[in-house]
Parts: sequence; C-alpha cells; structure tokens
Amino acid sequence: MRGNSTAEHLSTEPPLPGGATQSGYANTPVTKAPSWHGIIAWDALLNGMAMGLFIVAAVSELAAPAIFRRVAKIAYPVALVLLLVDLALLVLDLGDSLRFHHMLRIFKPNSPMSVGTWCLTIFSLPLTAAAALSLLAEIGIDFEWVRILAVVVGLLPGFGAAAYKGVLLSTNAQPGWKDARWLGGYLTNSAILMGCAELLLLSALMGQSRATAILRAAFLVLLVLNVIPLGLLFRNLQPTHARLYTREQQWRVGVLIFAAGTLIPLGLMLLNGGPLFICGAVIFLLVESWGVRFVYVKIPHTSPLEIRSGEIAIDDHAHNGKPS
Amino acid sequence: MASREKELSGVPQSSDPPHGQLWELAERLIYPFRHGEPPEPRPATGFYTDTTVCIGCKACEVACKQWNQLPSDGFNWSGNSYDNTAELSATSWRHVKFIEQFGEESSSNLAFSVMAPNEPVLNRWLMMSDHCKHCLAAPCHQACPTGAIIQNEFENVYIQADICNGCSCCVAACPFGVISRSEMGGHSHKCTLCYDRQRDGLEPACAKACPTKSIHFGPVDELREQARKRVEELHQRGVPQAYLYGDVASETYSELHSFYLLVDRPSVYGLPDEPFNPWLHMMGDYVRSVAGGLAAIAALLIVVFLLKS
Repeated sequence: MRGNSTAEHLSTEPPLPGGATQSGYANTPVTKAPSWHGIIAWDALLNGMAMGLFIVAAVSELAAPAIFRRVAKIAYPVALVLLLVDLALLVLDLGDSLRFHHMLRIFKPNSPMSVGTWCLTIFSLPLTAAAALSLLAEIGIDFEWVRILAVVVGLLPGFGAAAYKGVLLSTNAQPGWKDARWLGGYLTNSAILMGCAELLLLSALMGQSRATAILRAAFLVLLVLNVIPLGLLFRNLQPTHARLYTREQQWRVGVLIFAAGTLIPLGLMLLNGGPLFICGAVIFLLVESWGVRFVYVKIPHTSPLEIRSGEIAIDDHAHNGKPS
Repeated sequence: MASREKELSGVPQSSDPPHGQLWELAERLIYPFRHGEPPEPRPATGFYTDTTVCIGCKACEVACKQWNQLPSDGFNWSGNSYDNTAELSATSWRHVKFIEQFGEESSSNLAFSVMAPNEPVLNRWLMMSDHCKHCLAAPCHQACPTGAIIQNEFENVYIQADICNGCSCCVAACPFGVISRSEMGGHSHKCTLCYDRQRDGLEPACAKACPTKSIHFGPVDELREQARKRVEELHQRGVPQAYLYGDVASETYSELHSFYLLVDRPSVYGLPDEPFNPWLHMMGDYVRSVAGGLAAIAALLIVVFLLKS
C-alpha cells in the first residue's frame, strides 16, 4: 500500500538498533490457509477425469460418429459416476454441507467458485441425459437425436467446469497459488489428456480397434503437449519452490513427475498398444496427475522449515555419515 | 472453548410451534433464496487506528468479545511479548499486536532507553489493534459464491452468517489473513464493524472502549482528514516515520475503510507491504485456462480427422 507517506517510508531503513533481534511480525505469514486439504486434490483430479472424459468422448463422437459412438455411449455413464463422486467431495468439503445449495442463490461472474458451481450444475443435466439415453439405447430404447443434442449442449458448461478449477486456485492471496498463472492452463489441458487416456482404455477394453488406434495417437500427442503448460507452471512457481524445497529436491520431484507422467506412458504406448500397456500408461498418468494436484493444493499449508530441515538432515547424514 | 455456545446450540432458538420435518426441509431449501430489500445507502464509515497512542491494554479485544458474545480462545502465551491472541480468528475479531524493538545492550535499562531524549526511536514498544480492513474492493466479497459477504449500507464488509456455507473462498482470498472458518458452525466470521450498534446510532464497542483514542470511528472522509492532520503533527514533533497505511488506493489495491497510522514498515506489524488484489489476474488466468483446454481439443481433432479416413 502506498498511501500518503508510505512510499517515502518504504525507502528508508527501519529504525532498529544494531543488536536488535525483534522484527515484530515480519516473519509470520500474513495470509491464512483455507481448510482445503487432500479432499480438494481428489476433487481436482476427479473434476478433470469427469469433464475430460465427457469432452473427449463428445468431440470424438461428433467428429467421427461411426468410429466412436459405441465407446462414447459407455464413456458418458462413467463420466457421470466420476462427476457424482466429485460433487460429493465438494459438498463434504464445505464447512456446513447442508447449505451446499446456497451456492445457487446468486450467479457472480467475478467469483470463480460461483462460475464453477453453475457450470457443474448446468453440465450435470445434459450429462445425466446423455448417460441415461446411452444406457437406454443399450436395451433398445433409442432416442439418438436427443442424446446427440444433450452431448452438444453439455460441451460448453462441461468445458467451463474443467476450466474454472485452476482459476479458482490461482485467483487468491495464498502464497504459491497466487503466482500460479498457468495452473488453470495446466489443469484444463491435463483434463483433456486424462479424458483421452480414459477413453483409450475403455475402447481398448471394448475391443474397438479403430477407436483405439486413433486415440492412441492422440494420447501420444497430448502427452507431449501437456509438458508445455506444466513447464510454464513450474516456471511460475520457481520462487515458491525455491522457498520450500532445496535445489536437489526440486530436481528429484521434477524428474519424477516428468518420468511418471510423460516418459513412462509415452514409452509404454510406443512399445505396445495392447490393453495391458494402455492400462499401465493410464495408471502412471493418473498417479502423476494426482501427485501434481496434491503438491499444489498443499502449498499454502506447507512449512518451508519442515521440508527443508528434513532435507538438510538427510544431506548432512549422507555427507558426514551422521545426522545433524 | 465455547462450552456455552455448544450448550446454546442445543436449545431451540425459535418460539414458533414445530411444523414437521418436511416443512422444515422445504423452509431450509427456500430460505436462502429469499432476498430482502437492501437498506438505503448511508455515509461510508470505518476505523482509523493511530498506533502511536495504543498502550496494548486490550480493552478493544475484551469489548469486542463481550458485545459480540464471542467465546474465549483460552489463555495461551504465544511467546511473542504480551500477545496471547496470536491472530485474528472466527472468535477473535480484534487482535492487539506487540512489537518489541530493543537492542541487546539496552534491554537491562529499558526505562531509561525509552525515555532518553536523544534516541527516541531506537528502543521502543510498538502496539497495534488489528481487525478487518473493510476494503473498498474486498477480495473476500468478490470471492464469495453464495452472496453471504456483502457491503452493507455503511460500505462495511459484512458476512451474513445465516447464508455462509463455509466454502472458505473468502479465507483464501483475503490478503490480510483476517477471515477464518469457525470450527464450531463451519461458517466464516470476522469483524462486522458492530453493524448492529451502528444501526442504532452507536459507535463500535472497541472504539467506545479504547481509553487512549487510538481507535477512531466515524465517516471515512472525516477520519482521513483527521489522520492526515495527525501525521503532519507527528512529523512536526520529530516523528518523520509516521505515515498512513491504506487511506488511499494503490495501483494494486483499493483504499481501506479501516486504515492505520504506522511508524515502521507494514510487515513489522504483520501487514503486507504492498497488498495485491488477486482479481487483477483473473481474466488472464481464464484466458490461459481456456487456451490450455482448446489447444488440447484442437490437437485431438486434428489427429481424429487425419486418421479417421
């Protein structure tokens, strides 16, 4: 704040005596971390999985119906189940879960949470319709054009529901999150990647060879593409990482994330296109996606001393042969 | 803590006859959607806190707890001077901060050092009564998805406790760490600037109780004028460090309706040196978020169209 004489004041040294040890509250955190813990990491993962699966299934089906219709009809009910679990987690995370419907009192475009809630609510209607009509079609009751209409209607709110999550986490005052300009870009991109992986797995399990071949190629492309927003996010958070982790820790985590989320799935896909290898690649991707989300959701709760002191102790032990 | 509140929460709060579970459920569902008429706007009010005259008596804390019926937080030494409140919370809407600035060599002759005319600022004890800043463009207000946080007719930031559902968006958004979620009801709480007292023409309990007039309450314009005169007076009296924090807007943050007169860096008092409104980034973040998703969809479509034939 630079009001009145503040600007002049900030340029002067504080009038502390030479040997003074007290600097008031200068070293205490100003912001308060919200009570968003592991449950929100799971929410971010399931949100991406549900929206991604729906969007990829819908886009693929609309682009090549003859190839993707069968697998898409299974994908919509799976996406609905994932969404329901996600919504349950969101409700449980509220301080007063019985007041979850208060979110729908108003629509506030300025509030990412409000935008997300409305997107999720609106999206749940066409998704439910698409899932129900897909299942009904399996038992011979076919309303094909209504189902396609529901899929088309669901695309925009589904995309909004995928896109709001990162903005919700980056539009606040929390250390780390507030600097994560590419968190939204990464999470939305990652949602599409996960959706592609899920649809690929479903098509492989259903023996849809043409769909599997196309999705396998798309998965490889998306795996490489996802490295870009992830890299930009890492760059955004460099100062936060430097505060929380040692250089060695950063390298270790970076390599682990890159290996588990990109290199191993890429290698497995290039090695073999069988269901077992696809399953392995998808598992690696999901574990990495959960890991990234967990680490970023935890940032405001993370104490630098806790982590860094642990690392120093380990390093000292390694170098000196005895714990510090 | 709060055994009295727990006890009270078990007691029926209404004298209305019982209506049955279905009626109660319907009422619970419909109630938040009823919107009343907003009151007529009144002149904006706020606090101006002159930290140079604060003596750390904590009368404001006590008055706040008493008037707002806030439960005790226990009595724990924080290890930081006489600060046993530690932070603002859902049950502490006022927090008196203590900052000891003494050189090691002068700690034994404290009284003489403080009183010594040649070095008035080298050994000192700063005190400050902290509270919600009632920002003009409050991030908590912008973040709140339920509309529980409003700017009332006095332009004070007010949480409607019966609407809040404890999503914690306001907690994450506040750059001053003012708001927190109560462990008891799960709702967010903070200073109301004694809205109930203001409506009855009374000044807030803390300002009323302050024995040194460190806490001033009134129309914001008048408070600003008063505060600027005080800064000038302090400069003339040999306190050049005195300045106002939050009385005017900066490039990254709006003015505060509760502002402070300080004599050291804001961070020394536990305030951000240059607060930043996170909403300044929101549009850019949305663009990046949408771009990330659209790029992936475009890549998927290209692969599908290339390989489908």
